[in-house]
Amino acid sequence: MIIVPTAMIIDDSRAMRLILRRIVTQLGFEVHEAGNGKEALDLLETVDPMPQVALIDWNMPVMNGLEFVTAVRSQERYRQMTLMMVTTESEHGQIVRALAAGAHEYVIKPFTPEAIAEKLALLGLVPSGIV
Amino acid sequence: MSAPTTDDLHAITEQVWLSYLDPEGVNPFLPSPDAPPSPHVIAAVSVTGAWEGHVVMTFSERAAELSSAALLGMGDDEVTPDDIADAVGELVNVIGGNVKSLLPDGSLLSLPHVVTGESAGNTRWPAAVEVCRLQGSWQDEKIAISVWTSKSAGEGA
Repeated sequence: MIIVPTAMIIDDSRAMRLILRRIVTQLGFEVHEAGNGKEALDLLETVDPMPQVALIDWNMPVMNGLEFVTAVRSQERYRQMTLMMVTTESEHGQIVRALAAGAHEYVIKPFTPEAIAEKLALLGLVPSGIV
Repeated sequence: MSAPTTDDLHAITEQVWLSYLDPEGVNPFLPSPDAPPSPHVIAAVSVTGAWEGHVVMTFSERAAELSSAALLGMGDDEVTPDDIADAVGELVNVIGGNVKSLLPDGSLLSLPHVVTGESAGNTRWPAAVEVCRLQGSWQDEKIAISVWTSKSAGEGA
């Protein structure tokens, strides 16, 4: 059985979700989308298998990206999921907060497709030869 | 840390265009002295905290359609008002976030706010003064990007 890697894209902008969807789909991922952290937590209850990686905006209504990271890291069952912030927040203190809360990687908008691919490759989530 | 300048806005805008609207680098945003004609589409984010103000993008209606279509990978005759609000909101969010990186630590960025139609022409920031402005065109349509600081914050600086 071929296991297709899965990514969850969490961003309140449909345009940004579309841009990220194009990038990770080309890298071989299937994609789930959510418009904020709460929607993403609800979606995680229903999807199987669990996504290998979540790409997470910071500034979102209802539940922001940092709150989502904190909520995910508080649950043992999501321990294997890689968390990557993809955000305009570039202040050093904010990056430290996200990493301290449990994010593995941090990408600042605007980004290129190559930057996302390289980060996912560094995390071991993209098969060699694709990037 | 000094206030953002027009050169800063130009550098940020070039980067955003290369990432999202002109990845091949063949159709860049070109500075020009002309302001966007009415009617406008206005997208803004507010900065609060250590620095108080706004980052505002003003599009001609056609520029907003073209930008949204490019960002969403759609035909420019396919974009809906909701598509435009989402896409120009994300553009100002990214540009605003990069402007915020030039401001003192401890500043917070709001969610984007988009105004279209007649309301856009009435949009004012009476309690703010303009810090810098970049005007230009993309695909022959006018776009302006400006940074405003609240008068009280500016007087205290």
